[in-house]
Amino acid sequence: MTLQLLINGISLGSVYALIAVGFALIFNILKFSNFSHGGLMSVTAYIGYVASVFFGRYIKALPLFIVILLAAALGGGLLAIVVERVAFRRLRNSNSSVIYYFISSITMGILMENSVTIFASSNFYSYPSFFPTSVIRFGALSVAIPDLLTFLFSGSSLVILLVVLFRTKIGLAIRSTSFDTATAKLMGMDPNRVVAATFFASGVLGGVAGVFLGINYTLYPQLGQLIVKGFVASVIGGLGSISGALIGAVLLGVVEIFLIGLVGAGWSPVVIFVIMLVFLLLRPRGISGVIVQEKA
Amino acid sequence: MEYLVSTLTFTGITLIGVLGVYMVTGLTGLFSFGQAAFLAIGAYISAVLYKSLGLPLPLAAFVAMLVGLAAGLLVGLPTVRLRRDYISLVTFGFGEAIIAVLNNTANVTGGAMGLSGVPQRTSFSLVLASVIACVAVVISYKNSKYGRQCLALRNDELAAKSMGINVERLKLVTFLIAGVMTSFAGVLYVFYTTYVEPGAFGWVISAEWMIIVFVGGVNSLTGAVVATVLLTGLPEFLRFASEWRIAIYCIIVLLILNFRPSGIFGEHEISLDFLRRLFRKGARTA
Repeated sequence: MTLQLLINGISLGSVYALIAVGFALIFNILKFSNFSHGGLMSVTAYIGYVASVFFGRYIKALPLFIVILLAAALGGGLLAIVVERVAFRRLRNSNSSVIYYFISSITMGILMENSVTIFASSNFYSYPSFFPTSVIRFGALSVAIPDLLTFLFSGSSLVILLVVLFRTKIGLAIRSTSFDTATAKLMGMDPNRVVAATFFASGVLGGVAGVFLGINYTLYPQLGQLIVKGFVASVIGGLGSISGALIGAVLLGVVEIFLIGLVGAGWSPVVIFVIMLVFLLLRPRGISGVIVQEKA
Repeated sequence: MEYLVSTLTFTGITLIGVLGVYMVTGLTGLFSFGQAAFLAIGAYISAVLYKSLGLPLPLAAFVAMLVGLAAGLLVGLPTVRLRRDYISLVTFGFGEAIIAVLNNTANVTGGAMGLSGVPQRTSFSLVLASVIACVAVVISYKNSKYGRQCLALRNDELAAKSMGINVERLKLVTFLIAGVMTSFAGVLYVFYTTYVEPGAFGWVISAEWMIIVFVGGVNSLTGAVVATVLLTGLPEFLRFASEWRIAIYCIIVLLILNFRPSGIFGEHEISLDFLRRLFRKGARTA
């Protein structure tokens, strides 16, 4: 039973990890909490739905699912570049204080969420079911196929991201810019392009996460408010640390599943709040222990 | 006319909440995503005490503000030592936790169905008087020693600390005053709408209040007041645009942030002194 809950928790945690890493990428490079990511996930969840209606006539099951993920990921990436252009480019050029980015991102998030409401109204839609809801048995354990696929697909998107970050030239540029923007600029990197690339990567992860959220819950414009799970996870992991965000997200997913088993879905936010408070008191820098300095 | 009065009453109640955010965010530079939770505490505690236990309204309001104070202490005491990002996270979690509690104590609060049947006891004149009192409190706080310390803290926490300012106590005091004020707004709110539900107090409300403060100008009380009137009134007047109005509102906010990042008023205040100087300057040029 416990192992069963653990597996479900890891599957949920892998979706949270997509959100948290997308969040941490932006925090890394621009040093602010990007709440527009939530709005982006709402939009991509609907993009995925539109794709499923459009392509559903020609293909079924797994190929359809992959096409949907690709469409949402691409849509999310492009949308994130637009968001960066509209909401943050000017602020960056005028060297604004971090708080303005913050406000701008919240407003942008509400704007995207509201656009979804306008075009899709507040009706509830749901994705068609892609897979038989059967289970695979490993001895006494049973793993539901959707859970397994969620884990596989979010895991592989994260691996692709890590490869891009640590094995390619643009990844190197992203990491060095997040380390020190001024020096990176002196080395001949164009900060606008690097930031745009980071937003694209974050948007791709947000897009994949949006589809999974849309499948796990029903589709509604406020879906993106689950961004808070990513926020909590990336703070627990240590703000701005990719590996920390991963660990924090899986931990959060597992704890949440166990709490739902123990105290019920209603009370679990209260318990999570208390755990979070205690955790921050004991280890304020998060799991990874990277301290983002406020002052040099 | 009645519509106008009700819009103005709501604007007044929002204004009191915004004043709280102004103190926490504008003056001190902390982000509280749980400010709307204080509104919920004030509303629910006073309504339940008045309705179920039959306490007289002033006493119920007083107890509600005390509970707001206690909740502020509970959240504030451990968090003032943390980094700014964490303060926003913890206040956020606090807000969500309060909503979860409200949803799960259905026998007292009505749960997700909300609490209805509260008599309407708030009038426009009461709200107006409260707004004036709260503005007076904030003005005197801003001009006091504490207010100036808050500004120092916001601009540079390290420097403020090295000048001998007890930053932790200062943050806590500001947070508590804001919390009590917002709880009071909650009392006014529930006895005006006669109905409350947990969904009305999510973090989006707190975020909206912060947006208002920023549009007005980070450090300008006048700006906060003007922006509240504009931004809470604006969606009402854009009603003809029905579902587009929130989108329009967001676009306006984005435009202001992009092209006038210091907000409408920036650091300026409209005060008697300012008007006098303006008048003198005008007289001199004439």
